[in-house]
Amino acid sequence: MQSLRSSQSVRPFKQRKSFATRLEEVAGIRAKFPTKVPVIVERYQKEKYLPLLDKTKFLVPQELTMTQFITIIRSRMALNATQAFYLLVNNKSLASMSLTLAEVYRDYKDEDGFVYMTYASQEMFGC
Amino acid sequence: MDSTLTYDTLRFEYEDFPETKDPVWILGRKYSVITEKEDILLDVTSRLWFTYRKNFPAIGGTGPTSDTGWGCMLRCGQMIFAQALVCRHLSRGWRWMKGKRQTNNYFNVLNAFIDKKDSYYSIHQIAQMGVGEGKSICQWYGPNTVAQVLKKLATFDTWSSLAVHIAMDNTVVMEEIRRLCRSSYPCAGAAAFPAAETDLFSNGYPDEVEVSDRQSLWKPLVLLIPLRLGLTDINEAYMETLKHCFMMPQSLVVIGGKPNSAHYFIGYVGEELIYLDPHTTQPAVEPSYSCHIPDESFHCQHPPCRMSITELDPSVAVGFFCNTEEDFIDWCQQIKKLSLIRGVLPMFELVERQPSHFSNPDVSNLAPDSSDADKLERFFDSEDEDFEILSL
Repeated sequence: MQSLRSSQSVRPFKQRKSFATRLEEVAGIRAKFPTKVPVIVERYQKEKYLPLLDKTKFLVPQELTMTQFITIIRSRMALNATQAFYLLVNNKSLASMSLTLAEVYRDYKDEDGFVYMTYASQEMFGC
Repeated sequence: MDSTLTYDTLRFEYEDFPETKDPVWILGRKYSVITEKEDILLDVTSRLWFTYRKNFPAIGGTGPTSDTGWGCMLRCGQMIFAQALVCRHLSRGWRWMKGKRQTNNYFNVLNAFIDKKDSYYSIHQIAQMGVGEGKSICQWYGPNTVAQVLKKLATFDTWSSLAVHIAMDNTVVMEEIRRLCRSSYPCAGAAAFPAAETDLFSNGYPDEVEVSDRQSLWKPLVLLIPLRLGLTDINEAYMETLKHCFMMPQSLVVIGGKPNSAHYFIGYVGEELIYLDPHTTQPAVEPSYSCHIPDESFHCQHPPCRMSITELDPSVAVGFFCNTEEDFIDWCQQIKKLSLIRGVLPMFELVERQPSHFSNPDVSNLAPDSSDADKLERFFDSEDEDFEILSL
């Protein structure tokens, strides 16, 4: 299971699977787990400091808040509290940390039914 | 880097301010270009300007003697922190004038940043403290890196006695800040009380303490908020909130930059940011025993650089200084008001406290749930990557 990671890191999830496949996948998983939200969490392609997660697809209880979700991801990566970590929804926005995943899903879900999140630290400056 | 080249490049950018009716905002002060141009330039010149230097005492005794090509974010960190110290020891309204005699407080502030190993916030101290943040000497810093290092260094600066708080995960928790600002005084003892009670201000103090005394039991706060406002470009939805940061009286404004190059952003006009640029190499200033350091090279005496706000790299840290608790309360109110404006996306969130059940998280217990996993296995029988199921 874990050995899949290196190949998966190359192309984003959306490019690995057709729209129809993704749509079908969401429909299936939502039917099975109606109170959980399907979330894709990927590392920013140019990220140099944060490790890869061993999973891309998460089914998250809809009542979980973003704070809780980020705490889970941070602990998976064994980041300490002072390390910069940002989870951007749709490659753009820092979702409010008090939102529940249900709210994030309502506001940001993709047309394929997943909600997409990208994680990154901060850029470095020097020259 | 060739300093001559840098100088020429910069000179090209030293345009005067455009004759515009748009207000110019500098560190929370509003100016008109048409009627107050001299005041704007005086305000800018009064800021402490830290640039690359060469020929300073070797870092760590045998390390580099110049920070050209690597130290720009460290210099920006010095600038934003120096602005906090100016507010702390001199005031926002304090002005520097060439040749005018300055107070000892001013020289004490400047001395805290001089390029030698024992200044509180020297490039030597920052570079060496950065090793603890995983940065070797000469390695590039991000806004969060320099903020974390400055926070550590501030604990040795008993003269300033600042409470430095870095709000992570784009969330400012008011309770944490109050606890920090009241922490080192006798009776404050917030930590001694259960977390749920720390917001009950009076619990920490004997009943007879007057309100005015309580106010003095507040360490001046430097609040730094490292953010990432997009992946490659700033999400435009944050522009208005970002501009508002330049308007607040508590503002220390932004460290960040263009890709690779760090700047200290002190103001804006129209759609342009106004910044101090560390990318000029000056010879190090010899520390003098009389404590009155030759200080002209620490003030930017030409019109400040400007750039389009859309060029800003999304990795930034926004800073605020709250000298008193009233300043902090006022700041919180402004942030709350800002979040109510329609169409404005907040860059960070202000909350009273961390969710209580998460103050001591052992979140790894959340997953995976075996009954869910069984269900999933029956559903997905392909070679496909599977879901990680989180359960409460």
